[in-house]
Amino acid sequence: MDQPEKNPTIDKVNRGLKRRYRAERRFRILGATAILTALCFLFLLFFSIVSSGYKAFEKTFIQIEVFFDPAEFTNENLAAANFPGLIKASMNSMFPEVTSRKDKKDLYYLISPGASFQLMKQVKNNPALIGQKELIWVAANDDVDMLLKGNIDRTRPESERRISDKQLGWLDTLAHDGKIKKTFNTAFFTSGDSREPELAGIWGATCGSFYTLLITLSLSFPIGVAAAVYLEEFAPKNRWTDIIEVNINNLAAVPSIVYGLLGLAVFINFFGMPRSTPLVGGLVLTLMTLPIIIIASRASLKSVPPSIREAALGIGASKMQMVAHHVLPLALPGMLTGTIIGMAHALGETAPLLMVGMVAFIVDIPHGFTDPATVLPVQIYLWADSPERAFVAKTSAAIMVLLAFLFLMNAAAVLLRKRFEIKW
Amino acid sequence: MRTPYLLITIAVLACGSYFLGRSRAFAVAKGCGGVKGLHSLPGHYGMWTALWCAVPALLVFAIWNAAESPIITALVVAGLPAEISSLPPSKLGLIMNDIRNIISGNITSGDPSPAIIKAAEHYRALQMISVDAMSAVILSIMVAAGLTIRTRISPTLKARNKVEKLVQLLLFLSSAIAILITVGIVLSVLFESIRFFKVIPLSDFLFGLSWSPQTAIRSDQVGSSGAFGAVPVFAGTAMIALIAMLVAVPIGLMSAIYLSEYAGSRFRTIAKPLLEILAGIPTVVYGFFAALTVAPFIRDTGGLFGLSVSSESALAAGLVMGIMIIPFVSSLSDDVIHAVPQTMRDGSLALGATKYETISHVIVPAALPGIVGGILLAVSRAIGETMIVVMAAGLSANLTANPLKAVTTVTVQIVTLLVGDQEFDSPKTLAAFALGLLLFVFTLVLNIIALYVVRKYREQYE
Amino acid sequence: MKKSILLASALFAGMFAGSSAQAAGRDYISIVGSSTVYPFSTVVAEQFGKTTNFKTPKIESTGTGGGFKLFCGGVGVEYPDISNASRAIKKSEFDTCQANGVKDIVEVKIGYDGIVFANSKKSAPLKLTRKDIFLALAKNVPDPKGGDKLVPNPYKTWKDIDPALPNEKIEVLGPPPTSGTRDAFVELTMETGATTFPFIHDMEKKDKNLFKATTQTIREDGAYIEAGENDNLIVQKLEANPHAVGIFGFSFLDQNADMIQGSIIENESPTFDNIASGKYPVSRPLFFYVKKAHVDVIPGIKEYLGEFTSEKAWGSEGYLADKGMIPMDKKERDLFAKQAKELKTLTMK
Repeated sequence: MDQPEKNPTIDKVNRGLKRRYRAERRFRILGATAILTALCFLFLLFFSIVSSGYKAFEKTFIQIEVFFDPAEFTNENLAAANFPGLIKASMNSMFPEVTSRKDKKDLYYLISPGASFQLMKQVKNNPALIGQKELIWVAANDDVDMLLKGNIDRTRPESERRISDKQLGWLDTLAHDGKIKKTFNTAFFTSGDSREPELAGIWGATCGSFYTLLITLSLSFPIGVAAAVYLEEFAPKNRWTDIIEVNINNLAAVPSIVYGLLGLAVFINFFGMPRSTPLVGGLVLTLMTLPIIIIASRASLKSVPPSIREAALGIGASKMQMVAHHVLPLALPGMLTGTIIGMAHALGETAPLLMVGMVAFIVDIPHGFTDPATVLPVQIYLWADSPERAFVAKTSAAIMVLLAFLFLMNAAAVLLRKRFEIKW
Repeated sequence: MRTPYLLITIAVLACGSYFLGRSRAFAVAKGCGGVKGLHSLPGHYGMWTALWCAVPALLVFAIWNAAESPIITALVVAGLPAEISSLPPSKLGLIMNDIRNIISGNITSGDPSPAIIKAAEHYRALQMISVDAMSAVILSIMVAAGLTIRTRISPTLKARNKVEKLVQLLLFLSSAIAILITVGIVLSVLFESIRFFKVIPLSDFLFGLSWSPQTAIRSDQVGSSGAFGAVPVFAGTAMIALIAMLVAVPIGLMSAIYLSEYAGSRFRTIAKPLLEILAGIPTVVYGFFAALTVAPFIRDTGGLFGLSVSSESALAAGLVMGIMIIPFVSSLSDDVIHAVPQTMRDGSLALGATKYETISHVIVPAALPGIVGGILLAVSRAIGETMIVVMAAGLSANLTANPLKAVTTVTVQIVTLLVGDQEFDSPKTLAAFALGLLLFVFTLVLNIIALYVVRKYREQYE
Repeated sequence: MKKSILLASALFAGMFAGSSAQAAGRDYISIVGSSTVYPFSTVVAEQFGKTTNFKTPKIESTGTGGGFKLFCGGVGVEYPDISNASRAIKKSEFDTCQANGVKDIVEVKIGYDGIVFANSKKSAPLKLTRKDIFLALAKNVPDPKGGDKLVPNPYKTWKDIDPALPNEKIEVLGPPPTSGTRDAFVELTMETGATTFPFIHDMEKKDKNLFKATTQTIREDGAYIEAGENDNLIVQKLEANPHAVGIFGFSFLDQNADMIQGSIIENESPTFDNIASGKYPVSRPLFFYVKKAHVDVIPGIKEYLGEFTSEKAWGSEGYLADKGMIPMDKKERDLFAKQAKELKTLTMK
């Protein structure tokens, strides 16, 4: 120690030190780059989604003055009244100069076909309206909405846009009179699917996703963890467990639509469960996520050091106590990670649900596990496939809702994971 | 009692019986020199009681519920006028549907006849009786079981062994589900595949080099080429999965190492879940991203270098798929690297190794089984992924090793064949099942190889 | 952990309970079938659900073949009531239906779907004949050097086919062979285009199989790209790649008129009026099929039929036309409306 510089080994070490530190630095930078690249991709995706979707959170309304003509409400049944007629009459009184049949049709086109249902609801809630004149904000048609949000270029020649010059003129008059406004699109969060983009909402699909994933989570997590614990801690190590292991790894590679075929055969055709319901969808997704959870759970059980097990057994714990009290808590963070990834997969999956009838047009909001329902990714897929341009923004907005759902789910799991994580 | 309330009651009673059993164990223990005189912990006695209470009750509940509907239906049908009850079963089912609609107050088709309304009332009455009877039976079973077991608690009762045996049985059943799923999957594709192989010879399917299912959709058409050779489809799958792994493994593994070995704990808490989001973004989004952003970019860049790039290149689909599966590698590897005991790091560092050397020589080998597990999962996901390839790589089955050309994958073919407009029993649709079966066998072989490789290179510590 | 297992088993039991408790009954119409008819039948369903007291029908998009498979499964609540189709039902499917007890089926033709050829507005519009399309897309074409023999398609650019066409690589994005759109397209354009060659025309009488194989096989050397059935994606790919041409449904052209333009075929451009009058030659009929046994038992089927066959829905000024469906002419509409009203059952020899 007195003369370290004379020690040949130290010399050798010192000579190599610079190179080794360089390698170390390179490696560290490489790691940082990798993670930054991954995060960049994430933000790029976020950016592209948000930039095309944020406009869907706003909705255009047009103010009209409706006269609830008592002559229209002679029938007992309110739904039988001619509500579209009321709207047409009020549009006519606003633009009395429009007379030709074609022009009138173009004029009525500015208002969403859903407006008459809005009036119907209002009259139902407040029958005193009959005979009154009332100023009412009604939803504008999707093309008007797109125009006012700048998604339709008004400088284009008339034949290339879906709003004619005349309609532009009417809209300008309305805007000038302060009869057009844009507000937050609450309907998007409270209503079910619709073929009119201005009426379509995400709530039905969100409920469907919630019920479906509730079933998936409550089945796949306990079963997956239990299976992993059995295979890793209790099962004898022999050819059979090898077969099971290979088999489970293999299940993870089965295309998801094949799980749909299985679900169709077993749950719908054999057990006779109702089609298109979160119950069946959840069960199919359970089958699909189970292998992922089992594999991740086994990997994390494997990483628990044998010393922990030996110590527990050494002080007289039974095998079950050893697993339940010592191994499982240590392996739980990894199991939760597997569950997060599996559930994220289940949340974004469309293909298997096609086979069990969840790729469907469903307007009514599901209220339980056996109501017909659809889920968020299916809704996104269906909207992305719709001809109407206004659905492009809706699609992105729906993706944002799905991501918010994912965030919530992940946040819960991350909190849990944080609680169990121990470094030793 | 309605079903949810009944379930809650069962749960409450089971909890109660746990405490009943435990307190009984304490009481018994007093007679034999305190708790240490018992064979098992008092909690085990409680658990034993609770299990005896809950399991039979739940079994009865499940069986009753499964049997209730058919029995009531049969009774109601028997009470219907002869001209209705003699209808074929399918029609009868529709009439029962009407009856159920009346009961739940739903809208019905037209005006129901008096006979139907009477049947509905009958149905409702039977349902009430059934639910009441079930509640009574279940509750009495629970009380009886709880009390009987309570009297049987004694210091020599091997409660722990019994409880553990039962739990172990449950664990075993859970892992048996995985086997059942496999059997189910094989069965659900096997029969249709056999029908397919009756039309198309197996050897043509396995070794054919051309895939173009252009057979006719309508009967008056004649099948044009209609070749069903699976080789190009599988080659395409392999190529896209390979490209995806070339993206995901380096980025994912380096991210995992950085996160668990270098990054501060705050950065790790934020970055890890963020990366996991990548796995949860719906694949439709990735599909659009690949088709509309990445693919034209690659085509234009390729054009600059004088390469002819198809607008549906395998490269675009593979790259984007690689991004999607990064978290499979990064998160799972991060967990296992994190779980490598600190003593091993300390030992290596104390010997003078740099952090890089510690990681590459000690930590990664120790974590290898877990890392390989994560990578296998990622490969699996890449093989099973559909939407990205549908949108970005298309359906043209080219047998090529050039990643700039368009290829197709097994999953894409399965989906398009299954949801197409053609007749469901045509070889075209059946080909989807055969592809599924072959893919299953293919991945099985891959997994077996992987298992042996991991066994060979795995290093067991401690 | 034991608790979680207990919880899981309780839940499992609960699932069983839920699954067997089907006592609620089905009070909505269940519709399955073609993804091409889906956008139209959903509009009708929504209108129907909002203006009547019935629930909104549930409409699945399964593809025509998958739809018939479900539809023909049998009679009963668990089977769908209506199947949408972008082609007429096949004899074999009809036989399956009969064998499974679905005896009476009502066929309703609802209108037409125009199939358009389109490219980006950044390039010049194409003026094509059906012969050009045949020569551009067929696998084997008549030898350009003359003679009555077929050679593998040698054409690389549009200009090779007709000097008046642009000097661009032939790159067509279209539906896969599993699609009904592709089927109709092949029959309506390629087959007609091929018959302009006299020897192919003669072939039809001599060897029908060879004729069909010649006229209906699409080339597989990369000029025709099977792009899946997402028409929106095709539109956006055309926007990204101005040299490509796409084949898809008229409603997508209608909605994206600022980005893409329809190619002129046989001197007619694909406009609503041209397709409706039959001047534009490429369109195919759309149908739906109703299970008669369900009509009086599942609530609302008759009323749904009434809504679909009303003038305000499928008329030439109706809301389906607004969504891009090409209506039938008045006489045909009246005929099918009458058949739907009387529930005239379909017979097949």
